[in-house]
Amino acid sequence: MDFGLTDDQATIRAAVADLAAKFDDQYWMECDRDKRFPSEFYDVLASGGWLGITTPEEYGGHGFGITEASILIEEVAKSGGGMNAASAIHLTIFGMHPVIKHGSDELKRRTLPGVVDGSTHVCFGVTEPGAGLDTTKITTFAEREGDHYRVNGRKVWISKAMESNKILLLTRTEKADEVAKKTDGMTLFLTDLDRDRIDVRPIPKMGRNAVSSNELFIDDLMIPVEDRVGEEGKGFTYILDGMNPERMLVAAEALGLGRVSLDRATRYGNERHVFGRPIGMNQGLQFPLADSLARLDAAELVLRKATWLYDKGEPSGREANTAKYLCADAGFEAADRALQTHGGMGYSEEYNVARYFREARLLKIAPLSQEMVLNYLGSHVLGLPRSY
Amino acid sequence: MRWELSPEQADFRTVLADWLGDVCPRDTLRGWLDAGDHATFAHRLHTDGWFGVGAPEDLGGEGGGLVELALAAEQFGRHAAPSSSWLASMVALPAVAAVPDAAKALFGDGAVVALATPAGTIPGGDATVRAAGAGLSGSVPTVLAADVAARFVVPVRGEKGLELHLVDAGRPGVRVQPRALTDRSRSVADIELDGVPSTLIQADAAEVLARCAHRGAVLVAADALGAMVAMLDATVEYVGQRKQFGVPIGSFQAVKHAAAEMLVKVESSRSIAYLAAAVVDAGRDDAAVYAATAKAQICAAGPVAADSALTLHGAIGYTWEHDLQFFYKRALLDAELLGSPGAWNDVLADRLPLVPGPEMSSKGGAAARAIGCDPS
Ligand SMILES: Cc1cc2nc3c(=O)[nH]c(=O)nc-3n(C[C@H](O)[C@H](O)[C@H](O)COP(=O)(O)OP(=O)(O)OC[C@H]3O[C@@H](n4cnc5c(N)ncnc54)[C@H](O)[C@@H]3O)c2cc1C
Repeated sequence: MDFGLTDDQATIRAAVADLAAKFDDQYWMECDRDKRFPSEFYDVLASGGWLGITTPEEYGGHGFGITEASILIEEVAKSGGGMNAASAIHLTIFGMHPVIKHGSDELKRRTLPGVVDGSTHVCFGVTEPGAGLDTTKITTFAEREGDHYRVNGRKVWISKAMESNKILLLTRTEKADEVAKKTDGMTLFLTDLDRDRIDVRPIPKMGRNAVSSNELFIDDLMIPVEDRVGEEGKGFTYILDGMNPERMLVAAEALGLGRVSLDRATRYGNERHVFGRPIGMNQGLQFPLADSLARLDAAELVLRKATWLYDKGEPSGREANTAKYLCADAGFEAADRALQTHGGMGYSEEYNVARYFREARLLKIAPLSQEMVLNYLGSHVLGLPRSY
Repeated sequence: MRWELSPEQADFRTVLADWLGDVCPRDTLRGWLDAGDHATFAHRLHTDGWFGVGAPEDLGGEGGGLVELALAAEQFGRHAAPSSSWLASMVALPAVAAVPDAAKALFGDGAVVALATPAGTIPGGDATVRAAGAGLSGSVPTVLAADVAARFVVPVRGEKGLELHLVDAGRPGVRVQPRALTDRSRSVADIELDGVPSTLIQADAAEVLARCAHRGAVLVAADALGAMVAMLDATVEYVGQRKQFGVPIGSFQAVKHAAAEMLVKVESSRSIAYLAAAVVDAGRDDAAVYAATAKAQICAAGPVAADSALTLHGAIGYTWEHDLQFFYKRALLDAELLGSPGAWNDVLADRLPLVPGPEMSSKGGAAARAIGCDPS
């Protein structure tokens, strides 16, 4: 067993930390406050070639694994950029996975280089008002018409749609009640986010406000057949392929947020004096922080194991889900405790921990709720009857 | 809102606490438990006139109601007194009330009556005893105080539905098999009946059982409260004396906070317990909700407080010589006695406008109806 990072991984960690450090608290606070996409940050990562970390070299990327990608995104979150920074690049660094694995050569050559150099912003359109965790219930429909599909429907929560020029869009090409298995009949596209046909409306939300999440009203969007990813009707399985690495990335983001929260709490615990001594001298403050350290460290180990398994091509569902669950929990708890440690100041935007708190809360809900992780572990890993 | 004990109730509590201090000090208790002797305490309770407090005078009691009984239960818990026979009788009282002779024997001679339902469940579940031919047959496991009972109130699946019967424990065909509990301050036994003659109790069986269940919930909750009080007192005293790193361990903030958490549990439990006692005593429609809340909340808090007490005592609390074990085990048994917090939470859940779970609905619904919580 070897718990160390490889040289490459250590270099990636240091280099990303360096780059991310160029963007200070003030920057992220303002992006969040003004609901402004962090373009400067995005551009720096793009020009450094980081967005293509997992993209195969033939399409302009570096061909690294999910381990390296998770280290990158963890550092980005940990820099204080939090989920605003992570979400700005999240999809770019691994979201193209279904396309890389199942898309036609032509589609890949046409789209991936732009994703890697940052000129193409992509968003991921799965969730619908009537279909949250129960993805097979989507109803956005793509009707074949010659060499096009005519698409109508509604999506919700689509992050970064405001800023994106492309969308990875999951649709139905057969209705749920017309297919043998409810997971059949779904088709995935990577296509232009045509604003004449798609009305994009941002949803006011609790946090992570530098990156929008939007409602999409899709009205007779015409998608050329070439933009279809893989075969018609197989879209759901393509998405499933990317679920485990996605969970790992989200876990890494939660972990990074937890780390920065704990750092800030520790700093404040040492600096702030009340009743004539540093507040960190109180066990009531010190123990929760020490407890968070232990929980973050434990969660990190599961995450590392998950990415290690995935990169070796081994099954990683149990570890990916566990990592997401433990990191989201430990990350949020650390953020909550950081807030508490800061007392009233924690509630002000000035100390940034309020921002981390709002962002960390998200990871217990999306992209997959903690409850669904337990459903997975309970039924798929333990072998208990499916409860839903 | 203001609710407090009447001067009489407050006096009762003080005098009973003093009496327990004399009659049931720790050394004496330890001797009784080592010898398996619950009878001495039961006898003193009766002869010193405490047994009838909380029971109506027309039944031979001293008057008062469930609030008085809860006060007594709290004090018994606080002293880990071997009080099963008292508790069983007070739970069964709504059934006994319909049989004047049994009531007279109970308060006059201390002839204990036990409700023949499994001690780990809410009274009122499915009856396992049948009326067949000449008498009752069937078995009921782990009945509280069955080893010392003179009579049993037995739920019976009769031809016309649920019935309650009174059975003399001394009759041929009654077999009582005591069982050992980890908490040695209470006792249970399995009952087997084989064609035993009985007296039908003329009362609405389901309604009486529901009242028994509610009383039991309140009294066990009050007992758990008393156990928590004892553990809190012992813990505060210990952490004030025990020195490490040159200071009393009670000066460490984490220790203080753990003790403070125990205090919060004690105080909130007290508020819940006495409100529930008053509501159940008044026979209000929503008695089930208060009884369930008390049992579920207080009896869930008990083991947590016990665990804190043990942690704060360090290794000494883990020894047989230390008295903490009595209360630790008491709190753990109270959690399960007459229905676990989970079971009583189900009762509460059935009262909320929730969608019933797929497999639970019929069973949970039946249990809820049995103890008078039908949401419909
Ligand atoms: C800020 C943000 C950004 C997002 N970005 C995107 C995006 O870019 N693209 C995209 O497609 N989607 C996105 N989403 C959507 C996200 O993936 C969903 O919100 C998530 O999958 C949960 O779905 P839901 O909100 O519909 O919850 P629901 O499915 O309605 O669930 C509601 C609650 O019920 C619980 N629940 C549901 N089913 C069960 C069950 N079987 N057992 C136990 N509990 C259950 C859930 O755990 C949850 O607590 C985003 C959401 C947010 C908040």
